Amino acid sequence: MSFVPKTAPFSGKINAVTLGTGDKAITIGGQNVLPFYTFDAAIENAPKIGIEISDTADQWDVAGLTELYAGCTTMAERAAKAETVEGADFICLVFESADPNGDNRPVADCVADAKAVAEVVTKPIVVMGCKHLEKDAELFGAIAEALAGKNVLFMSAKNENYKTVGASVALANNQKVGAETADDINLAKQLNIMLKGLNVPAESIVMNIGCAAVGYGYEYVASTLDRVRLAALAQSDADLQMPIIATVSADTWAVKESTASEEDEPAWGNREERGIDMEVSTAAANLTGGADAVIMRHPVAIATIKKFIAELV
Amino acid sequence: MALKGLDIFKLSPKKNCKECGSPTCMAFCMKVAQGAVEIDKCPYFSDEAKAMLNEQTAPAMKTISVGEHKLGGETVLFRHEKTLVNKNLFAVSVCTCMDEATVDAKLADMAKVDYERIGERMYVEFVQVANTQNDPAVYANLVKKAAATGRSLILECWDVECAKAALAVCGKDVILDGATPENWEAMNAVATEAGVTLGVWAENISDLYDTVKKLEEKGNKNLVVDVTGKTAKETLANAVLVRRTAIKDGDRSFGYPSIVNLAKLAKGDAHLQTAYASMFTEKYASIIVMSGMSYAQALPLYGLRQNIYTDPQKPMKVEAKIYPLNGADENSPCCLTVDFALTYFLVSGELERSNQPVNLIITDASGMSVLTAWAAGKFSSTTVKKTFEELDIANKIKNRTLIIPGKVAVMKGEIQEKLPEWNVVVGPLEAVQLPKYMKDKEYEAAAKAAAAENAAKATTAVEVKELSFDELLATKVPAIEVKEWDAQYKGYNPESSTFVTIGERIHCIAPSIRKAMDERDPEPILQRAYEQIKAGATYLDVNIGPAEKDGPERMMWAVKLLQENFNNVPLALDTANMKAIEAGIKVYNRTNGKPIVNSADAGSRIGYIDLAAANDAICIALCSADGIAKDNEERMMHCDNMLERGLSLGMDATDLWFDPLFLVVKGMQDKQMEVLEAIKMFSEKGLKSTGGLSNNSNGAPKDVRPIMDSALVAMCMMQGLTSAIVNPNDRRLMETIKSCDIFKNHVLYSDSYLDL
Repeated sequence: MSFVPKTAPFSGKINAVTLGTGDKAITIGGQNVLPFYTFDAAIENAPKIGIEISDTADQWDVAGLTELYAGCTTMAERAAKAETVEGADFICLVFESADPNGDNRPVADCVADAKAVAEVVTKPIVVMGCKHLEKDAELFGAIAEALAGKNVLFMSAKNENYKTVGASVALANNQKVGAETADDINLAKQLNIMLKGLNVPAESIVMNIGCAAVGYGYEYVASTLDRVRLAALAQSDADLQMPIIATVSADTWAVKESTASEEDEPAWGNREERGIDMEVSTAAANLTGGADAVIMRHPVAIATIKKFIAELV
Repeated sequence: MALKGLDIFKLSPKKNCKECGSPTCMAFCMKVAQGAVEIDKCPYFSDEAKAMLNEQTAPAMKTISVGEHKLGGETVLFRHEKTLVNKNLFAVSVCTCMDEATVDAKLADMAKVDYERIGERMYVEFVQVANTQNDPAVYANLVKKAAATGRSLILECWDVECAKAALAVCGKDVILDGATPENWEAMNAVATEAGVTLGVWAENISDLYDTVKKLEEKGNKNLVVDVTGKTAKETLANAVLVRRTAIKDGDRSFGYPSIVNLAKLAKGDAHLQTAYASMFTEKYASIIVMSGMSYAQALPLYGLRQNIYTDPQKPMKVEAKIYPLNGADENSPCCLTVDFALTYFLVSGELERSNQPVNLIITDASGMSVLTAWAAGKFSSTTVKKTFEELDIANKIKNRTLIIPGKVAVMKGEIQEKLPEWNVVVGPLEAVQLPKYMKDKEYEAAAKAAAAENAAKATTAVEVKELSFDELLATKVPAIEVKEWDAQYKGYNPESSTFVTIGERIHCIAPSIRKAMDERDPEPILQRAYEQIKAGATYLDVNIGPAEKDGPERMMWAVKLLQENFNNVPLALDTANMKAIEAGIKVYNRTNGKPIVNSADAGSRIGYIDLAAANDAICIALCSADGIAKDNEERMMHCDNMLERGLSLGMDATDLWFDPLFLVVKGMQDKQMEVLEAIKMFSEKGLKSTGGLSNNSNGAPKDVRPIMDSALVAMCMMQGLTSAIVNPNDRRLMETIKSCDIFKNHVLYSDSYLDL
């Protein structure tokens, strides 16, 4: 009469993708169960955390970040500091100011930054662009070449520029490529098929299926994560078995809960605490839904999520 | 698994004898499924069927009510499968181990978090009172204090005497979280006597299951399970296994709501509690107990909860009202948009970024985005005027600049006419352009121009008398020029059972047709009619847009134009303006069949059935009310309601063509078979059906769409679909339909059947 839980791993499995080189290299994916369902089967690789360093980081204005990066003036200095943050498994460089509609920083300058970073850090590197399709394609190609052999992940190739990005990053320079779509499982699958069609190996592809801060349309992210994971595991859909990275910090630090001053919202209390909890909650929700890695910003939030993961796997 | 009305219907005698008091067996079965009627009311159900139903009608997971709160009642494991029903609630924990000042501070802090977000009150619903001292007087004292907050209570208390003392000092909206494998019998007696919900906890999930079983055997099913384990890992395992066992394996002994106590798992680490609480919001806690709830925690957690528990088929709406931004007052300009939550967040975010004081006016548009709402007639000058009147905006705001979304620039004239004192300005196309637009005050020149125009109009304004249809026909409908066409409409016998295709290409969403309708230019409209007729369309749909202003003369013109040029081709009249449909029918020639009213639904457009009945027309009846029906039970309920209404107004059942609402594969792939099943149900009831079939392939590549549409139409015709609104110029689709009509023996085969 006593209860015997029915537990079983799925037949499908998430691809294991390795980033970086040497003893600091990390592997994401590899499991054949839903996130943290250790009672069904052991989790092959614990989810990982990336720490975000933007080339506009000098504009970050909460104390925890200004203190962490005090005295740093270059991206490399910030990256060296970021590498020491407890819980950060990899470094995520964001070249926001490359945007032609913004500062339009030249590609050569960004490449120089990336090279300088690669010289001072040993943890794996992920590169994000400025969300301008053509500029990103150009930028990724140049950095991929400059950081050859470092096994870097570039985020991301989109439906509009996957050919250029896939070719220059994955084919020519043997780096890893992120496939980015916005809360659309059909497009996510299609983009993976197209990248594989270019001869990019499945094990070189990571997905960014879209992100949003909790409270801001997160239901679309949640359901896309659920559906992608169920397709990959329960239906063994090889075109959706790529591990998932969620870019948490960019969304959570831009919403009102994290930006409104204490004068404007006296009831809400300390602004930095609000920003940390928005980041923590969105990261935890993504990891529970299916993200294999999250990109975060605040050291306290990162330490919290590190502990969260450690308790669960 | 909860039994649906349709499952019961399958076992029913299907006699429609009305002896039970319901009009049909189907209606009776729906009521049984809802628990509104006992199955014994029907004298013809076999005992065997009844026994089977009694066992199966119990839902997989019970809904437990505690005061005004409902817990559990879930039917799926993932929100995309259907919808999650009862959101998780939060509790703050106080304990006899705390000193009085700590308890007071905690309860006071808890009360501070109380706000509204998208129409929902956000606050801590429960106080959890933990007993560690085992002194009845001490515990009762603390419970009394917690009860004074007015929140519902969770009494975590394993000592029988303490529990009794506590229950004596609080109300009935209480969960006594006190049963364990050791004390369950005594605790059960306490809870039952007090009439409160009993919580069950055990060291491990196996003992938990056994204890629940024992309580059930004693007749207590008013239970919740406390799944808190020694670690977060164990707790997640318990929460998932309990829910999965109930819903996937159908074992009702774990079909109870669950409590997760984070105060125990993340003592002292508020951020870690936020992380855990986020996880358990997604993974199956019904109540999450926290050691405290600050605003920093509440803002993300309640936001996440609101997202996870929204119905995936019903968009989130914000309240229609004035939202003053950046310190706006009555002298600040106004921006107008719809009530879709994502639109609101996007637009308000961009407006805030502009740092310019502005009043954001949200108008009721059934939670649709700007263009969707406009096309559905939910965002029109009439709905805007209604919002302005209901919110008394003209008296609340003195500034008269009203910026409307660039995407609905076409509405400018109509809104200006309905709101003559306002200076209506067309804003940017995209929200991201708003900060610059507002900062540079780009609207000022346009507002000035509008003001000047309004002033000029005011001096020349004359009373306009509403004209009758005949007067309109005589004065406002241009004469029809009839041309020679090399292909003509061949005629149609409404008695025939062949598939009816309704050509969809005369639609105002196409810019060329919109322009032609506005300018009464026959050419583009006749051209599309010609192409569709040549391709073999049975009916032509005529969509004249929302047509708020000149609907009747527009529709009369279009009907005459098409029928006089094409041998009285039968038409479906398609607009949100009911007067226009009425006018169109006035000039309609019935030689080749009745006009079709496109369309009624079971919600705000139910009146279209009355319109069709009064004018002896066919009516397309969309089986949804507001948003997509969540399952076939709901679809068939709408179907029955509309059928009853039509019949009571004297319509023939076959003049109502039921539309299951075709869903797009990209996004709702898992609902396609349900739609096909609905068609079969219409067919089994002897009803006709139709719908916008090609919606299934929306967003798919151009060369793939005809293949998908053809496959679907063949499957639909197998299920009994009698008509569809399609593009007749899709040759593959038309050939598939003709072939299916051969297999269905509707048309006698000949080698050249495709050419007929």
